[in-house]
Amino acid sequence: MSLTAWRPAVAMAARNLRRNRVRTVLAVLGVCIGVLAVASLGILGNVLALGADDAIGDVGTQVVLSPNADAGVEALSENDVDSIRRAVGEPAVVPLYTDNAIVEGTTDRSFATVYGVERPALAFEAAEGQLPDRHRGGAIVGANVADELGVGVGDTVDVAGTQVRVVAVLVGTETFSPVAPDDAVFLPTSAFDADGYDQVLIVADSGAAAGAAATAVRERVNARQERVDVFELGAIVDEIEGFFDLLGTFLLGLGGISLVVAGVSILNVMLMSTVERREEIGVMRAVGVTRRDVLRVLLAEAGLIGALGAAVGTLLTVVVVAAVVVATPAVDAGLVLDPTNGYYLLLALGFGVGVGLLSGAYPAWKAANERPVEALRS
Amino acid sequence: MYSVELGGVTKRYPGGGRDPVVALDDIDFAAEPGEFVAVVGPSGSGKSTLLNVLGLLDDPTSGRRLLSGTDVTALSVAERTAARKESIGFVFQDFHLLPTLTAVENVALPTAFDPGDESDRAVDLLDRFGLGDRLAHEPAELSGGQKQRVAIARSLINEPAVLLADEPTGNLDTDTGESILAEFERVKAEGVAVVAVTHDPLVERYADRVVELTDGVLAGSAAERRSMADEGTVAGAGEMMAPGEMTGPGGMIDPEQTTGGSE
Repeated sequence: MSLTAWRPAVAMAARNLRRNRVRTVLAVLGVCIGVLAVASLGILGNVLALGADDAIGDVGTQVVLSPNADAGVEALSENDVDSIRRAVGEPAVVPLYTDNAIVEGTTDRSFATVYGVERPALAFEAAEGQLPDRHRGGAIVGANVADELGVGVGDTVDVAGTQVRVVAVLVGTETFSPVAPDDAVFLPTSAFDADGYDQVLIVADSGAAAGAAATAVRERVNARQERVDVFELGAIVDEIEGFFDLLGTFLLGLGGISLVVAGVSILNVMLMSTVERREEIGVMRAVGVTRRDVLRVLLAEAGLIGALGAAVGTLLTVVVVAAVVVATPAVDAGLVLDPTNGYYLLLALGFGVGVGLLSGAYPAWKAANERPVEALRS
Repeated sequence: MYSVELGGVTKRYPGGGRDPVVALDDIDFAAEPGEFVAVVGPSGSGKSTLLNVLGLLDDPTSGRRLLSGTDVTALSVAERTAARKESIGFVFQDFHLLPTLTAVENVALPTAFDPGDESDRAVDLLDRFGLGDRLAHEPAELSGGQKQRVAIARSLINEPAVLLADEPTGNLDTDTGESILAEFERVKAEGVAVVAVTHDPLVERYADRVVELTDGVLAGSAAERRSMADEGTVAGAGEMMAPGEMTGPGGMIDPEQTTGGSE
């Protein structure tokens, strides 16, 4: 079936729509609002999800292992760390000593987590100074701690009564992580006098690699004895993402309701219009216009209403979203301009046209199949 | 060969009561190419049903129907639509032009969805009916007589074998009606059989032949002519006349006669 077969039908449909402009405009407005609702709520949900994704950041790529106290394991030994390294393979394995201490700067003091780490560069990033390949001396300070104490590289901080020079300040992560590097100070392992590590951090390139590492630890390190607790952030990230998926679907559903209402209004308009034009349609059928062509004309009318409403609704969505971004500084424009939002625009556009065709189908079918002899009996 | 022919056609509708309503009762009817037949009769006599059956808008309950010699008694919906477009033109009392289309587009309506543009032929037809200066006018801008001329032009766009007219002068004043009937003269001169259902005595003056339909039974010149041609069958003609005489013009259909007729 070629498109040219539709041309006369579309031309005739366009004229029929012009006949009752007010009714047509109202039906178009209905679709327009429906499309606006679907597109803008869809984009809202997507922006929320993208924002959350941004905030969670690379937490999903980390796995935190700790000794399983239930099994009587108080600390993780070098042997444990070795077997973890063998199990996970590629991702960096960063064992940590953990303690808490009062940290003092020149003027202020703060309560901070103090970690002993040998190779900080594997897991963290410096904003100021440089992270040593092997941490032998000095303190690496988290962003919040540095901020609170007002210290920078070259300053001296007092950690639990010991004066240490700051060698680097970490980049603020603003992400949720059990290690919480923003509120921590990292000292060389030599500063700790402990039998074993309190935590082992596994840093992978991707969430999938982190998940695989966690599985490997469970299967191989914990094979004989549950030596380590595996705290896998990927699972939490999955859950959070699942929630935002649900939220997005929910918002789309809300928008969808208004689109359904718009569909009902098209159904109403088309039914009214076919009843009014019963005789005309009867004449068309009598003079030899096929049922299929009558169907095409009426479907084209409903489709045009849907397409017009969808096009205007999509444009309106762009305008509304742009206005919201301009008016609300809190909204990150980068998130709104994300290409995935275009998908919601297309989705709404398609829905609008689809709703038009769908709700036009029944009136069109009904009118096309009426016997001309009945329609002409006046 | 007749342009259109009905043989022993009966049309029954399911009635409100137990007995069906017989709209056409064993009708024999035919129109030759170039013949103008007027069908007259009181309201409810089955004239419209006859036109609908002739025009393939309705199927007979029994009997045969031929269009230019081809049996078209039982066709599918699509086949009937195609046959209407191919061979039949309709002219209605209310003109039935589409208000959104211009005169030319109305004339070309039967072919509007076909590949190829018939507007040249539509313009020619409108020219012939004296509407060469009204081509782009919409029906609302035309007078009754002009609308009916557009409708006649539309009925001829596919060079039909039969033109069926339902009260073609019913909504027109006498002068305009007369001019429309004069157009039918020209149409039949092209070899198209014209069958007009009418109350208008004027139409009878223009017709080659007038048949009267009373309570679904045909009488008049058609029956007379056939009985005259068929020598020695005066009794047969008498039979055809009898039911009409029994019920009288405009009378309700007698259930007994209905059952008698269908047997």
